[in-house]
Amino acid sequence: MSDPYHLLSVSTDADDSSVRAAYIAAIRACPPERDSHRFEQIRAAFEAIATERDRASHALFDTGVTTAGEVAEHLCAGWRPGRPGLQALRKALEIE
Amino acid sequence: MQAKADEALREARYKDAIDHYKFLLKQEPNPDWLSRLAQAYAGRARQLAAKGMLKEALAVWRMRAEVCALPLELGSCLSWLIRLGEWEQVFGILHGADPLPDDQREEAQTQLARAALTAPADVLLKFPSDSPLLLHRSAALAALAACAEGDAGAMNEHLSHIPFRSPYRDLRAVLKALTLFPVDVGQAGEVIGRVPAGGVFEPLAAALRICVLPGDTWLASLSKLDKHTRGLVFDIKGCPPEQRAAVTELSLLEEDPAALYGLVARHRQAFPPGLAARLCLRLLVHVPGRIKTYGTNFAPLPATEQARILALGAELKGRPDEAEAHWRRMIDTMTAGQNARVALILNRMADGHHHGGQPGELCEHGIELLERSLDIDAADRGTHLRLIRALKIAGTEPGALRKRLDGAVDQFPRDLEILLQAMEAALESGAFEQTQDLAKRALQLDPINPKVRSALGQAHLSQARLQIAAGDLDSARRKLEQAGSLLRGEGLGGGAARGAHEILLGLAAQSPDDTAALLRAAVAKLGAGLAGIFHLLLEAAHTKRNPLELLGLAGAGLEATPSIGEMVGFAHALDAARESDPFLRGVLAPLEKMILRAAILPFEESDYALVCGALERRGARSLAGRYAEAALKRWPGRPVFVYLRAAALYAGTTTRIPDKEYTALEKAFDAAESQGDKRTASRLDALLEEGTSDFAMPARPTGMPGLHDLAPPDMVAEMEEMIALGGGSAFLDAVRKQIGKRAFEQMRREIGGSKKEFARHVVQMFTEAQDFLGAGDTPYRDEARADISVPPTPSGTLVPRIPARASSPHNPKGPPSPGIPTGAPTPSTQRPAPPGQKDLFDE
Repeated sequence: MSDPYHLLSVSTDADDSSVRAAYIAAIRACPPERDSHRFEQIRAAFEAIATERDRASHALFDTGVTTAGEVAEHLCAGWRPGRPGLQALRKALEIE
Repeated sequence: MQAKADEALREARYKDAIDHYKFLLKQEPNPDWLSRLAQAYAGRARQLAAKGMLKEALAVWRMRAEVCALPLELGSCLSWLIRLGEWEQVFGILHGADPLPDDQREEAQTQLARAALTAPADVLLKFPSDSPLLLHRSAALAALAACAEGDAGAMNEHLSHIPFRSPYRDLRAVLKALTLFPVDVGQAGEVIGRVPAGGVFEPLAAALRICVLPGDTWLASLSKLDKHTRGLVFDIKGCPPEQRAAVTELSLLEEDPAALYGLVARHRQAFPPGLAARLCLRLLVHVPGRIKTYGTNFAPLPATEQARILALGAELKGRPDEAEAHWRRMIDTMTAGQNARVALILNRMADGHHHGGQPGELCEHGIELLERSLDIDAADRGTHLRLIRALKIAGTEPGALRKRLDGAVDQFPRDLEILLQAMEAALESGAFEQTQDLAKRALQLDPINPKVRSALGQAHLSQARLQIAAGDLDSARRKLEQAGSLLRGEGLGGGAARGAHEILLGLAAQSPDDTAALLRAAVAKLGAGLAGIFHLLLEAAHTKRNPLELLGLAGAGLEATPSIGEMVGFAHALDAARESDPFLRGVLAPLEKMILRAAILPFEESDYALVCGALERRGARSLAGRYAEAALKRWPGRPVFVYLRAAALYAGTTTRIPDKEYTALEKAFDAAESQGDKRTASRLDALLEEGTSDFAMPARPTGMPGLHDLAPPDMVAEMEEMIALGGGSAFLDAVRKQIGKRAFEQMRREIGGSKKEFARHVVQMFTEAQDFLGAGDTPYRDEARADISVPPTPSGTLVPRIPARASSPHNPKGPPSPGIPTGAPTPSTQRPAPPGQKDLFDE
């Protein structure tokens, strides 16, 4: 995930304190001992947009490569988990 | 044949293996071969079943029993029979005259569980009335319906009627995980993790296993699923129908920004409002050619944004000149109130002027861009530090550096790093009071910082020197006392400072006897020989004392030949001495004979390198050259000494390196590279690069027409004649000799193609160079400056104008020639343009 705003779940017009609060919440939810890779991503995201100058710099010079997974994650953010209907479940049980 | 058969069996080529073993068995009824034939039949049957060819698989299985005289063992292919709907045979296996062992029977019932849930009524009638498949079936179906309804309570109630050993036990876990997923993905993952892979309810379990994968890893797994299981994943994750095609395509996509851009743009209608545009905008820097289609798909981009994307695109392609042009265009289109962004862009433009070398090193133009950036946004601490570092590396005069640092200190009065930088610069430039002031401020922030303490100690030493020179010995002793308490640790030049302190204590002593005693003790402490004498002479110069008189007082002389140990100590002392010390070179002159006398001693190779290096770094090039010569006599061709000899002899005049020396340097470079001596290889590389970086090539070999002696039109004609007479190879050999092996090989790599094509390319390059130089030998302008306007500052004044890019990696003072590859010799030396002359590269 190369989009720091998405990773920290803050809007693009967030200020310093909002970014910091989101960062602290994110590292509480994912401490380094649980998932060090994810923690590093969160830390890098915070450093990329921590201050107003950082955010301006990110807006100007970000060349992070958006991946298919990242696009899917953006889409996923708007989904509400559900369950297959009975028909789909029965279909899954059918033997071809 | 047996080997062939075994190999086919091993490689899962079962069809071949069956043929080979059957052939072998016709020759001889070998029981081992028969057993392997049975293995081959079984393998082939499974292969066919995996392809969905169940009938064929069963036929092969039956053939296995017949040919190999084995029992049919249909229990092994029960799942095929179920899938084929061969219920008679299935029930025959389960309840026939020859019942299965208990464990196999239980396994067979588990395999039937999924089929039992969807089997037609007539098939269900064939189940024994006490079969768990029938007994727990209604509870399983009711749980399934409750799960689909989202009624977790009812589902759990129905599941409670399914015992742990029931054939439907996996369904219990799957349905529980399904219900947990929307509320607790982690717990759902734990539950589904307990269901063995490949079980009878695998389609549902597989979908759930993918849904609980962390981050975006589920997407890659999606591509491996069949359509129906993929649909289950979408249902569970809640993917709306209109987005399913896009996500399916995403799962199949290679990591390719262009393809991803196309996909997002194509499915933009299915994306939430604004998301597709935002994602495509982010992807545009990797596919800047899509700027126009972006305008069609979403909305036309403003000129500023277009310039930004093109600049970043050029950067990513490694085209700094092009990037800078776009950045400048972007600044042109920016409005007032965006000056902070202009400052950031100027800072970014400076990145294009780092041409290797040390980290943070910038050419003059890069430094100027940083200065402009700070003029606009003085509160950018990072740019202050970056500029200071670049100025230091560039060897900026201490006064100018201090001026810049004063500005930084004003802006960040409580920033330790900036205070330290300012303090070091003040010390270097001899501003001792300012050093003390800055050091005190830094110590308030970090009371035990060794760098600060050492710098403060050195400032005290410097003041003591002035006081000794002025005859104020009482004040000098007080200063030396203060210095002594600060210089105990190894800090900034700690060793050299402590040596100076010892000697200065002697010079500030109250009586001549005390002076003599302290000096003798100091010289003895500093290594008794050359290192002590060196310190003594240096302090004599600092305090304006007679060096011979001090040598006499210290009982030291210049007649002895230093030992190897003394020379090593001296090399360390030399390295520790302040580089900017104006007396350093002068002090080395009286020591020259002593140093030379020691050159023939049987040094270790590493000691020779140490002494040579220290002498070279302190500008004693002829001495360094003599030591390198002496070392080369013992270790001929050793890369480090070849470098040091050449660096000593030809520093600043590398274009005069004779062919023989040049060849030796090239060999030394190859040797250093093959020995893994990266440092020496890099230094040799820089020297060779310097020697070939302009058109003043090494002296031509005897009898060879010299390209560098020819006027441009003659030069190209000469090349064509050489190709006509001697062919491409002879011409290329001549070019190789002229420009050096390294530059030649680099060109060869970059241009590629056959020899003929390469030769044509080289001539083309020189033709372009001729076009360049033809019009009155138009030189590159040294300091090209093309002003561009920037928005006015809030106060209404215009921010300083930005210089045009005027450097390139291999020609820091001038732009590269178009058509000439990176690293190839550029067809002009760096000469300033006559006043008013237009730069050919100005945009």
